[in-house]
Amino acid sequence: MKEWLKVFRAGLSIDNPLTVLMIGLCATLAVSSQVEGSLFMGIAVIFVLVMSNALISVLRKLIPSQVRIPIFIVIIASFVTVVDLFLKAFFPPIYAVLGIWIPLIVVNCIILGRAEAFAYHNRVWLSIADGLGMGIGFSLVLVGLAFIREFFGSGKIELLGATVLKMPTGYAPPTILMMFPGAFILFGFVVAFVRWLNERPTNRKAA
Amino acid sequence: MATISHFLLLFVGAALINNILLTRFIGLCSFFGISNSMNTAMGMSAAVIFVMMMASTTTWLVWKFLLFPLNLGEFLYIPAFILIIAALVQFVEMYLRKYSPALYRAMGIYLPLITTNCAVLAAATEVAKPGFFKMAMAYNYTLGEALVYALGVSVGYGFALLTFTALRERLDIAPVPRVLKGNPMSFITAGLLSLAYVGLAGWFGL
Repeated sequence: MKEWLKVFRAGLSIDNPLTVLMIGLCATLAVSSQVEGSLFMGIAVIFVLVMSNALISVLRKLIPSQVRIPIFIVIIASFVTVVDLFLKAFFPPIYAVLGIWIPLIVVNCIILGRAEAFAYHNRVWLSIADGLGMGIGFSLVLVGLAFIREFFGSGKIELLGATVLKMPTGYAPPTILMMFPGAFILFGFVVAFVRWLNERPTNRKAA
Repeated sequence: MATISHFLLLFVGAALINNILLTRFIGLCSFFGISNSMNTAMGMSAAVIFVMMMASTTTWLVWKFLLFPLNLGEFLYIPAFILIIAALVQFVEMYLRKYSPALYRAMGIYLPLITTNCAVLAAATEVAKPGFFKMAMAYNYTLGEALVYALGVSVGYGFALLTFTALRERLDIAPVPRVLKGNPMSFITAGLLSLAYVGLAGWFGL
């Protein structure tokens, strides 16, 4: 009971895939220009991560270690195909926004990384907890980044075709936040902020 | 003449204007992971150019003669293409180890990493499956165009990677605030570098 809670929490804080481990960046920076797309991307990644972690963990004694990477990739690719076809069939506008990033979940380092580092060596329930923690940790950072970029970069937030939140009129949004360079620079500051947060207690002790 | 300028535009567009790293965000993991030293960056660039050309040719042929005629493409392209790349990388590694030990020592350790490099998967899918990058602008590449496109993308990848590595080596000795040192500063540098590429957007109507 306690063990899987610990594993779950690690993904959210000390082992957060984006801000601490720095893996899975490509999708994050590209998708985070809109909150809506980021939400669906987060859900897609959580689904693929949990399912592939669970299946790999179930099969871990049957997978020979010499060919484990191709087997992992095929398992991951199958779940990504499920998500790809599901979004295409039921949420075509979202699919149009996310586009290539859904198929590219296959090569997202987070998923293969967790399969290799965690699911291949641990029991099923722990692997599911790890998938959930890592997936939610990824989604939180992704949606947070998207919120800053969309709210300050375009002055409003749109969800499923409706404007949810709006800046007061007369606000001139810095469009650079919505563009590629803005994503890099903002993410740099987010990483610095997280590092500052993590280092703070030791700073206090020293002072 | 018309064809030469067509291929040239395709190459420049793929390499600089639509640079895969800095204007599309594809392949960033390796971009930040491997840009610590000039030697590793050069080995990786060479390996990417080599594998991307081969992978694009293979996926183009498989799509044209196998997946598309059999009507399997729409739901089998992800597992099929990633398996092609994984198998190809494995073969290249085995071949190099046997027949060209010098080359194997130079780029051997980067080859397994390329399997999970999204740039290779993205470029190989783009040339094979029409309308992968932009669904509104589905474009059927011919085999020649596919090769030039893959070369452009991978050369653009190498160029951006080498520029960034050079900047990072210089950054190591620059006075940077303590919280920003290391990774955060790399991201900000990458942002400024990407700003330069944004300036290229729209050239030659690409």
